[in-house]
Amino acid sequence: MKTMMRYLPLIGLLMLAANSAALDFGSLRDQLKSQVNPKLLDAVDVAKEVRGPDESEEIAIGRQIAGNLLGAAPLVKDAKLQKYVNQVGEWVASQSERADLPWHFGVIQSEDVNAFAAPGGYVYVTLGLYRLLQNEADLAGVLGHEIGHVIRKHHLKILQQSKLVDAGGKLFSRQVGGDDKVQQMIGSGAEIVARGLDKDAEFEADRIGVVLATRAGYDAYGLPSVLQQIGHIAKDEGSVALLFKTHPLPEDRLTKLDTAMGERFDSIKGAALATRFYQMKP
Amino acid sequence: MKNKLKQAVALCVLLSASVVWAAQSGSMMKDDELKSEPFRDAKTLKALKAGETISMISKDGGWYKIKVGNSSGWVRMLSVRIGAAKQSASAATGLLALSSGRAATGKVVATTGIRGLNEEELKAASFNARELQLSESYAIKKDDAKKFAAQGKLVARPFDYLPDAQ
Repeated sequence: MKTMMRYLPLIGLLMLAANSAALDFGSLRDQLKSQVNPKLLDAVDVAKEVRGPDESEEIAIGRQIAGNLLGAAPLVKDAKLQKYVNQVGEWVASQSERADLPWHFGVIQSEDVNAFAAPGGYVYVTLGLYRLLQNEADLAGVLGHEIGHVIRKHHLKILQQSKLVDAGGKLFSRQVGGDDKVQQMIGSGAEIVARGLDKDAEFEADRIGVVLATRAGYDAYGLPSVLQQIGHIAKDEGSVALLFKTHPLPEDRLTKLDTAMGERFDSIKGAALATRFYQMKP
Repeated sequence: MKNKLKQAVALCVLLSASVVWAAQSGSMMKDDELKSEPFRDAKTLKALKAGETISMISKDGGWYKIKVGNSSGWVRMLSVRIGAAKQSASAATGLLALSSGRAATGKVVATTGIRGLNEEELKAASFNARELQLSESYAIKKDDAKKFAAQGKLVARPFDYLPDAQ
């Protein structure tokens, strides 16, 4: 009973935590550290293991993955282009429930047709994909799909499933920190982005991409339009090898989108902004 | 003079109303209807069968303006596939792969200086702090994104997420 009394404040705090989706376990841990028995901190770590990494850890993981991806394919050296995709991306992301993440967008130097998302708000589109886009609504749709992966934490869940992150707070305390620790969690290089998500995660990201573009005022059919263009590329072309390996085929994605969109967008008009779209020099 | 003005106005309307692009050939992915205008309740001009060859002239939101036989009209974008009815000839795609400088295996064999991104390359990639810093330097503040949207006359609007239609 005496023990029970001693733990009561913590239990209260944890119950509070369960009610608050935005609770930061890192700061809870820091608060507790100054006042309570260190044994209690383990209880916080256990809770964290269940809930996954907090936002600052999520960003640290994403940052490491983004740095590795850029190690494989650097940014296209065109500051206007990079600024432009950040303008469109930030506007689309600000229509999501995670508008306050520090979002970063970029076009990377690869003729492959692909796009990548890393936890915490890092989104990259290849030059090969960018060249397929015909207007700003197309770009908004593609970025919206990747933003969908981030806000639903699709890659983070994979890391947790594969037990790479399950040591939670123990492996990854802010005091120790450091890139090596994060790298241990994400495996080798940027392999996490080469690993496929399950099909349902891709279909979900498609549905989110269409909705975020619509919320941002764009034509809803940008993403479907790009998927049609990609579907037109021969399936055994090298430029789409990784994309087709890690995603359902465009035809299946379009069929799913068709069913999900139905008549909901019939009365919705949006902008394509073909004239403002930043054209790459050929 | 009046005529010229009319033409100019007509051109402007045309340009702003729909995205004009080089005609692309396509085919019907499923049965649908050719409509007189890009609306679901517009007049139906004729029935279109899955597999039918069409040519797309322009695009307006979720609709393609198409030509099919002697008729032209509008069809829902998601009922259409770009290209021939079925891409089965792997001989042809093999040629395409060759002409783009890549072997059909996905390995990059070209000398373009730009590499592909395959699993091995991603796995072997090492952290590039300088590129990451550069990338982060392009971040846009939310207020600036709002201004950018306003310049494009983009207006945010509520829209619910779509349920998973199984």
